[in-house]
This record gives sequence, C-alpha cells and structure tokens, in this order.
Amino acid sequence: MATPTASALFFPSHLPPPSLRFPSRRATATGVRPLSQPPCAGRPRLQAPPPPPPAEQVAEEQDDTPPLRLLEPPQEDDPFPSEMEPADPDFYRIGYARMMRAYGIEFLEGPDGMGVYASRDVEPLRRARVIMEIPLELMLTITQKKPWMFFPDIIPLGHPIFDIIESTDPETDWDLRLACLLLYAFDVEDNFWQLYGDFLPSADECTSLLVAPKEDLMELEDQDLASQMLKHQQRAIDFWQKHWDKAIPLKLKRLAPDHERFLWALSIVQSRSVNLKMRMGAFIQDANVLAPYADMLNHSPDANCFLHWRFKDRMLEVMIKAGHAVKKGDEMTIDYMSGVNSKFMERYGFSSPTNPWEHINFSSPAKIHMDSFLSVFSIAGLHDELYHNSALPSVETDFVDGAVVAAARALPTWSDGDVPAIPSVERKSAQVLQDECHQMLGSFSTTIQQDQQILDSDVHISKTREIAIKYRLHRKLFLQKIIDSLEIYQDRILF
Amino acid sequence: MASCSNPWRLFPGMSPVAAASAPASVLSRSRKSTKVFAGLPHRRKPLLFGSSRGTRRARIRCVKDDSLHFDPSKIEPPPYSSYFDSTSGQLEPASGARASIPGKEYWPEGTEARVRAARAPAPVGESVGAPSFGKKPGSRRRGYKDQVASASAGDGAETDGDDDKPVVAVSESDDASEEPKDSLDEYVIYETPQEEKLSEYDMDKMMGRPHPFIDPAKAMLLGEPKTSEELWWHWRRKSEKQVWSRWQRRRPDVDTVFAKAMAETGQIKIFGDHPTRTEAALAKTRRHLYKEERLEAEQRRLEEIGPIAYYSEWVEAYKDKDTSHEAIQKHFEETGEDENGQLITMFQHQTAGEYRIMMGTDVRIQRDPLAMRMREDQIKQIWGVDPVYPTINYVQDPDEVIDYRGPEFHEPTPEVVPYLMEHGIMITKEELYARLNEEREDINQDITYIPEIKDPMATAVDIGEHSYNEDSDDEEEDVDKAVAQPESLEEKSKEGEMSLKEAIDDSENLTDFLMDFKEDE
Repeated sequence: MATPTASALFFPSHLPPPSLRFPSRRATATGVRPLSQPPCAGRPRLQAPPPPPPAEQVAEEQDDTPPLRLLEPPQEDDPFPSEMEPADPDFYRIGYARMMRAYGIEFLEGPDGMGVYASRDVEPLRRARVIMEIPLELMLTITQKKPWMFFPDIIPLGHPIFDIIESTDPETDWDLRLACLLLYAFDVEDNFWQLYGDFLPSADECTSLLVAPKEDLMELEDQDLASQMLKHQQRAIDFWQKHWDKAIPLKLKRLAPDHERFLWALSIVQSRSVNLKMRMGAFIQDANVLAPYADMLNHSPDANCFLHWRFKDRMLEVMIKAGHAVKKGDEMTIDYMSGVNSKFMERYGFSSPTNPWEHINFSSPAKIHMDSFLSVFSIAGLHDELYHNSALPSVETDFVDGAVVAAARALPTWSDGDVPAIPSVERKSAQVLQDECHQMLGSFSTTIQQDQQILDSDVHISKTREIAIKYRLHRKLFLQKIIDSLEIYQDRILF
Repeated sequence: MASCSNPWRLFPGMSPVAAASAPASVLSRSRKSTKVFAGLPHRRKPLLFGSSRGTRRARIRCVKDDSLHFDPSKIEPPPYSSYFDSTSGQLEPASGARASIPGKEYWPEGTEARVRAARAPAPVGESVGAPSFGKKPGSRRRGYKDQVASASAGDGAETDGDDDKPVVAVSESDDASEEPKDSLDEYVIYETPQEEKLSEYDMDKMMGRPHPFIDPAKAMLLGEPKTSEELWWHWRRKSEKQVWSRWQRRRPDVDTVFAKAMAETGQIKIFGDHPTRTEAALAKTRRHLYKEERLEAEQRRLEEIGPIAYYSEWVEAYKDKDTSHEAIQKHFEETGEDENGQLITMFQHQTAGEYRIMMGTDVRIQRDPLAMRMREDQIKQIWGVDPVYPTINYVQDPDEVIDYRGPEFHEPTPEVVPYLMEHGIMITKEELYARLNEEREDINQDITYIPEIKDPMATAVDIGEHSYNEDSDDEEEDVDKAVAQPESLEEKSKEGEMSLKEAIDDSENLTDFLMDFKEDE
C-alpha cells in the first residue's frame, strides 16, 4: 500500500529499492479519478515511443514451442508509470525556443502533478551528466541580500512593485518578494512566464496549504501545523492588504486583484523556489530562484539529481549524480530538504509515509538497543545517513523503507559501546513503545482504512483537503510501521 | 473529404503506399485534435487505411513534418565513398574538402555544451491548447480540463436549455448589431452618377471599348513648367564674391565659353551672365544640329542639282555657265562626254587658290566665325595660351645684359687651400718665418762675430747645486764630468784607433758604426 509505481521494481539495482522513495507528491496509484483517462494516451512524447508490439505474438502464445523471434523488437512494456501521460508538447517547446534543453528525459503528467522521467538508460558515470539546462533569462531570481538584484532584470525603474519589494525584510519575507516578482512577470509582455504559467498548477490544483480553507486545515489533525498555516495565511493576506487593497495604480492592482491570487502566487513560490548560490560576474549571489523546468522535479530522499549553476553561460543545470545508474522510466528527483512531514507540508504541500526523517515524540522512558534494531533490518550508516543495505544476501526488500529508517531515528534508543542488549528487556521496552504507538493511533479520529476509503471514493474533494487527509494517513501509516517493525524486532532479536 | 488526390509526385525511393498513407496520417491527426477538444479520451491511432505493417514500421518520421516519406537506402549513392591518398596513406577527401574535424577531446571549453544544445532534437507534436498569457494559470495542464469539465458539469446539471441558449444568444447579438446601423441611416440618399466628368479614356474603359492601358492624359501630362529655381538641373552656382581665392573660381568649359560667346554676340539667349552647363550643352547641341541640318541640306542640293552645278560654285570659270541637268545632257549628246568627264573638265579650270578655298585649307578665310571672333581671354579659356610664349615672363628683351655668374657658378665650392693661397689669404710656413725673421730685431747685426761653440755643454758653469766635501781628494767630485770625460775618452782612444772626431768625419753615416756583430751575441 505504501509502495508506489510498480515499474521500478522490474529492474534490479544496487541502490536502495525504490520503495524507499517518495511517491512524490502524488497519491498511491490506486485512486480512481472522477473523469479518469485510460492509460497510455496518445499524446506525443518528447521522443518517439517504441513501436507497438506486433499482434502476431498473441497467437503465438498458444503454441507449444514459440518460434525464435529474431526480426521482431524485444518485448518491453512501456516503462513509464501507467497513469502518467506525456505533457503538452508546447511545454518543452516554449523552453526549447528560448535555449532551454532537456536531454534524455520526458515530462509526464499524472493525476497528482507533473514529473520528470528518464527516457533512456544511463549507466553509472564518473561525472555528473546534464539532463536539463535552463538559461538565466527564463528564471526569476531575486538576491537574498540587499542590494536587490533581479536576474533577468524585468522590473522597470519606476514601477511601484519595486517599492513593495523594497519594503520587505530580506531575512523573512523572501517568499513575498518572489511572489510579487512572479505576479509581475505574468503581466510583462513577451515574458516566458506568461507562457509557462499555463503549466503551473492552478488555484484548484495547487496542493499548498496556503490556499486551504480552515476546515481542510482541521482535517490535518495536527494542531501545530494548522496554526502555523493559519499564521502564514494571515501574514500573506496582511501583506496583500497592506499593498493591494487600497487605491493603487492599475498596473499594480491588476497583478493581484484579490488575495486568492496572491496566495496562489505565494504557494507557487514557496513550493517551487530554490535557494541557490550563483556566481554572477565577480560575486556569488545568494538568490531565491524560480527555475521553470527544474521545478517540475519531485522530491526524494535518495535523489538521483541535483542542481548546478554553470557560470560560463549562466545556465542552471540539472545533473544526474555521478555513480547513479538510471533506467528508462525512472523518475528524476531532487533532494529538497530533510525534515519531518510537517515541514514538507508547510513549505511544499506534500507528505510521504516513507520520510526517513520523520519524527515522533515518545514520552515513555523505554528504550531499545539501537545497534540490534539496525541490524535486524540491516540498516547501515551513520545517524545522519542511515540507509537500507540491500546488498546483503539474506535481506527482504519489501518491508524496509524510509519509514523504518525514520523509526530507527525516532524511537528512543540506547547504545553503549559493545554492551549487549538483554533480549527480555528489549522486548519489554518494545512492547511499551508499541502500546504508545497504538495509543497515538487511537488518538486520531479516523482509522487508516477509513482514510483510505475517503481517498478512494469517487466523491470529489478539493486538492487541499486531499492532501490534508493524506498527511494524517501518512502519519498513521508511519505509526503502524513502527508497530510492525517493533514486532519484527521482537521476533528477530538475537540472543 | 472522402478522398484526396496525391499532390506529391513519387520521389526516388518512395513507395506509393507511403505516399498514400501520408494524407491518411494528416487526416487522422486532425481527427484526433477534434476529439481532444470534446474532452474524450484519445486512443492510439487506429489502422483504418489497410497499409501493411512492414511499410508502417519502415517509415521514418522526421522531426519537422511528415509530408515527405522516402527510403534512405533507395537514394542513389554517390559513385565513390573514399580513397586513401597514395602519398600519405590518409583518407583522401573526395573533393578537396578540409581535413576531418577533430573529435570532442580537442574542442575548446564550452563547445561541447553548445554542440549538445544545438543537437538536441526539437520537440515533436502538436499542442492542443493555446496559451493564456498569464490570465489562466494551469490552463494547459492535464488536470485543468477535468476541473473545467467538472465545474461546467456542475453548472450544466442545473439548467436544461443549454443547447438552445447559445443559438438564441447568437441571433440576439446579430439583431443587436444590426439595429444601430439602421437607426443612423433612416433616409436613403441616391447619388447621381458622375458621367460627364469621364474622360474619353474613362468612357472607353467603362464601356468596354478598346483603350490603352494607361490614361494618356495622365501619362503625358506635362504639368506646369517650373521656374528655374525649382528645376534641379538649372541649379545656379552661388555668386563668386564668397570665394576667397581666385583659384576657387570654376574652370571654364569649352561649351560654356562658347555659349557665353554666343550669348554675347546674340546668337543664343542665356539667363544670367554666365551660362549653366545645361545651357551650354543646349547651345552646343543646337549648333551641331544646325550644322547637320545644313549639311543635309547641302547634300540634298547636291543630289538635286547634280555635281557639276554644285561644285561650279568653287570654279570661277564655270560661274556663268549653264550647269543644269539638261545642259549636261545636251553636252553629252553632243560630245559624248558623260557627267564625270565634264566634272573633270570643270575641275581642270579650277585654280589653286580656288582649290584651297574649296578644301578649307585657306587660312585667309575664317572657318569658324565665332571662334575667330572670340575675345582673347575667351580663346585662352578654351584653347589655352600660346605654346611658345605662354606668359609674359617668357618674353625676352634682346638688349638685356646677361647676369653672368661665372663658369663655376653651378659648382660654387672649389678647393679651399689653393683658393686661399691664390687670393693671398694664406701663405706658406716658410714665408711666414721669413717675414717674421725680417721683422724681428737682429741683435747681432752690428756686433763682432762670435764663433758659436757646437758643444753646448762646453760653456756650462757650476752654479753650486750640489755640495761637495772640501776634504775629499776625489777628482771625480766634480759634477761636471763632461769636463773630465773628454780627457778620459781621449786617453782611451789614443791607443790604437782613431779618435772620435776622426771617426765621425770619416763615416758616411751612422751605419758605418754598426760593427760586425757575431750572430751568437
């Protein structure tokens, strides 16, 4: 239930199995959308798709001895996930015309958003390989510190938007600035963002909690997060009211005629911007950047791509990390940040049941032995870099995922050199912890099954409500995972 | 469109099936686009046209467009591929092309990124949506149609007359747009056609009669004559007062001077004091035309009256004779002499002077009256000055005393010393001494003769420089050894040999004193 698309499991890899990855802002692929589209739709991809398998093979399966298939192409399924279909060709075309390039990748759209997928195999290389390069002219950039510098400089000298930007505090209001810049860019004639804005999620599809109404925030069942989001919303609305809700010139007013538009722009900015240190000229600018095609990359804790700024011709490159093998159909992901689910929800509007940095506050004094817990699940590495060691032969790959790694971090553990763990004590403390987890599960208003039912049902729910439900579902799943892992731990603890 | 003719001819290597399936694909694609608009799911392209599997797979799809299909293996290959050069053993390029371009290891920095960016294929596929330019964010996303569909589905369920509404709305809008037009023009005004203003050309054109393509009245319209200020070819130079040097005045042209002369004599009329080049050219042309006209007239006259009558003008003896055609004919019948013979006879009566006049080599007759009658400065402007005496400076006075500077005027630096000696500026040393000696006062002129002692030391006197011991008996304490020496020398040389004086007197020169030295020493 927690494992995402099945295609990645076809191919053995020495990396941690894809089950550790995030499903990347998307729900599990079991949902039936109200107006569902059949798989493998006919929109053209960036590269020509493989030819369809010939129809003779269906008859051949009935034979006893299938003949040699020398002249026919090898049977291969479409490696891309089934619910994803290629994005509009104009999406790449508007960038291609402006010297943006994508090498060996496809932009696919699904019910939960757009993602970047590899369209061909890449063997592990010694140098990072570029998959996307985006020129500076397409990006929207504001430096973090004063003096404000905009790359490209699209704000004319006397425009009132500059005064608004000037009034923001560089330490805290970077997202408000970038939102103003984005709204202005939509208004500038011949700006790339006028065309690219059609591919950003609209206000209905936007998964940020900033645009969520109060009842959706209540669905989160997390008081801290809800209050945080309310505070953020209030801050944004205050900012909008301060600058837009009065008599201002039309060229400023039409940028954000209502606060929903501003909130939408702010949510786009918060979820898609990245903080880069770019060397421009002689200096290194600490800049908040909205990069057009690189923001379609989703998050994964074991990402295979990273962003790099190429100073020579001022391009932002998305590069595959050296040593990462990529198969056709793999999703290209980036590590946004490492944090708990609530942090991701607050900033980006998604959560994951396999977040390896998830944290639970246990109140009981029971502790389990860390080394034995890690060895039971063959999780290796230092505390900051725990990973599942799937290279060991006697290892099952189905159960261990990021949640177990998070459990290893979240559970209260002790480790004292090579002092052995006493199994009975361990079992007792595991029991105590399991009970606490059960308690926490019970404190939720709905069970896991109920949440799943809500998500699977055909009733149309708004995007923000959906992600709120998913957030609490993932939390419950995590707790369930902890319970299961403690169970396995109790079984496998060594004498 | 049920069937479409194949507009493309078969290119070499093209299969007709490929050509036939090309319009099929175009049709199916357009059909697909209409399908998408309705929001229905689109399927894979159905194989409706019966083309076989093999050709479909062999078709190569280009990036740009699908209209041209060809099999690259069926293109006629060039007659050669490559040769190895006999001398170097390297691949010889087929037609003097350059050497092969080095691989990317040798490219400069940044080239590979640029080449990769340039080689990246352009995106294929047609987009179904249209950009909203910032108005509707997310409108081209996949989920947007769902939202729009769901929103409209939610609204559509409420009202039933959805289909009727757009039709009604359109007609209403048409009525609304037509009404204001009619309200403005309530009264219809009829205009009488303007037929009288039609010219002949326009009438012909209107009625369909044959007419020239252009309106001759418009084409051949001369228009109002412009004043000379407007005419660009009658541009007049500004007055000469503004120039600050005589060299800046314009150079006279032959035609211009002639035209000016003609104007002065009244043959042509110019506007202003000096003719412009146009006027000059016009005058020249006119002169030339007149001359030609005159020559033609003369030629016609010659043909008309016959050569004898024509040339009898130059022959004084035939001035009163009858030289008409009839007379010549009569003469021919009488004497049997034809026209040419009579002509020769006539010319035999011509004098040399008359001949010179006829040929124009007689200088007494002025050939070009205007040129002869032009003023001197005008002549100078055209033909230049006298080649022998072009300027005043060359006119010489025969009585002038020539300023002769001497034969060596052009080599003015001769030898210095003989020059100075010659002119008595310099004298020789001997003469100088001689003169000096003459001038010097001779003390001994009136004194007794004193024989000069050759030996300078003979008169040396002891002035007491060195102190001597009184007690010493040494004879050699005397410093002046010369006094003592000759006595010793004389004592030494007394013995056998000659004395020094005798030896010196006996010798020719000092080489006699070179003794016969043995070579061992």
